[in-house]
Amino acid sequence: MFNALDVSTSGLVAQRTRLNAISSNLANMSTTRNEAGEPDPYTPRFVVFKTDENITTSGGGQGVSIDRVEYANVEPNLKYEPGHPDANAEGYVAYPNIDMTTEFVDALGASRAYEANIGVIEVTKDMGERTLQILA
Amino acid sequence: MLSSMFESSTIPLLEQVVNFTQSRHGVLAGNIANIDTPGYKTRDLSVENFQARLQDAIAAKRQASESPTYALNAQLAGRPTGSGTENWERVREASKDILFHDNHDVSLETQVTEISKNQAQHNLALTIMNAQFRLLRAAVTERT
Repeated sequence: MFNALDVSTSGLVAQRTRLNAISSNLANMSTTRNEAGEPDPYTPRFVVFKTDENITTSGGGQGVSIDRVEYANVEPNLKYEPGHPDANAEGYVAYPNIDMTTEFVDALGASRAYEANIGVIEVTKDMGERTLQILA
Repeated sequence: MLSSMFESSTIPLLEQVVNFTQSRHGVLAGNIANIDTPGYKTRDLSVENFQARLQDAIAAKRQASESPTYALNAQLAGRPTGSGTENWERVREASKDILFHDNHDVSLETQVTEISKNQAQHNLALTIMNAQFRLLRAAVTERT
């Protein structure tokens, strides 16, 4: 029973990390420079999950962990803004290629998955409590 | 007579479990309170250590009931004596050794799950203890 809680918790941690990546993508929608201040548009990143063999339940259930954070393989959006300090010789500014709709749908998916894990935790706890009631 | 009535049941053992889970709850609650404290290291009590000491004490108790000189010899050798309150002393100490985790990804979710598990264990011990006392009361009052 306690292992089931660990599996659900690994799901919570994974989904929250995914949500963090999504909010980072949305926050940096118009970022044209990297952390060193050089003109380099932000690349959207996404979290890759893998099953974690260290977290297992007796029924063969497995937990999840973060495998790595990947950078999306997309070209930046070029926008014609000749007055912009980061514009290239032709007057185009490279903006991050982030689709707001996709990001929002992903955020919704992550938050629903988080809720689902919480639901499983509640069921696990309820089962444990009911087992206790046999004694009481 | 009264002490042996409690001593022979699992009540002293359950008492140790409740003591430990309450101490551990305090430590875990501290982790939650300091979730945003810069440089804070999450701390915990070693459940494995506690379980091992509890197991030693239970084994000693079993042996002491078979051999009358066991408790005395164990006391001289510094092992759990198997009888009386001093049998549980080493178990009680398990709630004092605080572990520090330096792994960086200890999250709110993990801490809350640990608190839930700890709470379940605490409630389990108290429920069994309650059942024991109800049994005693039924015997005393000759009513259920």
